[in-house]
Amino acid sequence: MMTFIPPRLRKPAVYVLAGLLFAAAWLVQGGHLWFVSIMAVIGTAAGAVRLYRLGGTDTDEGARAGSRTDERQQLVSLRSRALACNLAAATSFLGLTAAIAVKAAWGWPFLVTFLITGYGYLLGLGNYGVAEEGTPDDADTGRQTRPPVRS
Amino acid sequence: MNEGLGGLRASDADREQAVEVLKAAFVQDRLAKAEFEAHVGRALASRTYAELAAATAGIPAPLSTVQPPGAPSTMAEQRTRRKISQAELAEALGVSRQTVISIENGRYTPSLPLAFTIARFFGQTVDGMFA
Repeated sequence: MMTFIPPRLRKPAVYVLAGLLFAAAWLVQGGHLWFVSIMAVIGTAAGAVRLYRLGGTDTDEGARAGSRTDERQQLVSLRSRALACNLAAATSFLGLTAAIAVKAAWGWPFLVTFLITGYGYLLGLGNYGVAEEGTPDDADTGRQTRPPVRS
Repeated sequence: MNEGLGGLRASDADREQAVEVLKAAFVQDRLAKAEFEAHVGRALASRTYAELAAATAGIPAPLSTVQPPGAPSTMAEQRTRRKISQAELAEALGVSRQTVISIENGRYTPSLPLAFTIARFFGQTVDGMFA
């Protein structure tokens, strides 16, 4: 779906979508804070315009905002996401531990976050690493493969 | 060759590289047989980069690839020699200007496909550009 959208518009489009969902949530709840949804729409529009303008600049941030990153910028982005995920996992673990210690009911979001980050890591191993081990050379040549440790 | 690095000891690989360049010069009739033998003798006896440079003095361009370890990336040298801007090179390679700067400053090691693209662009080997 994203390929139909011009690269420079992709990030702003995702930003607008997320902002509208956020605004809709405030509107749907129907409380006395409904006006937050109006502020969210205004903030989303301003943010999307800012993101679009940033996408036109000749900087690393501009390349990311404009969805035209090269291999180095993708690597930087990947490392940043890995760091964010590590922090999320560590924070959720600490939160869960604290919730257990004080017998609090607010511990479940930490548990969900921790399980999602852990499952995401295993999913990544399955998709990008473990499945590519392949067969050893000896299997191809028909020679006897010695086990690494003799019993 | 960089000033101050000439006192570093040259490796066997550096001497062999110098001999290869001398061989190329001989094949191209840039050197007479006697000159070639004298140059090769001096190159093989060279212990430092300065001696290696002296042994290959007067031989055109390829000898500049004999660099001591830690010398700056040759990409910047190749680019400035050809009077290409970082932006132009980035466009030719299909990467950002910031990535060209990072490679030239030694802050980013390009992937193998990009290294080959860069080497091919400058008519060099990957070894010559990034070793």
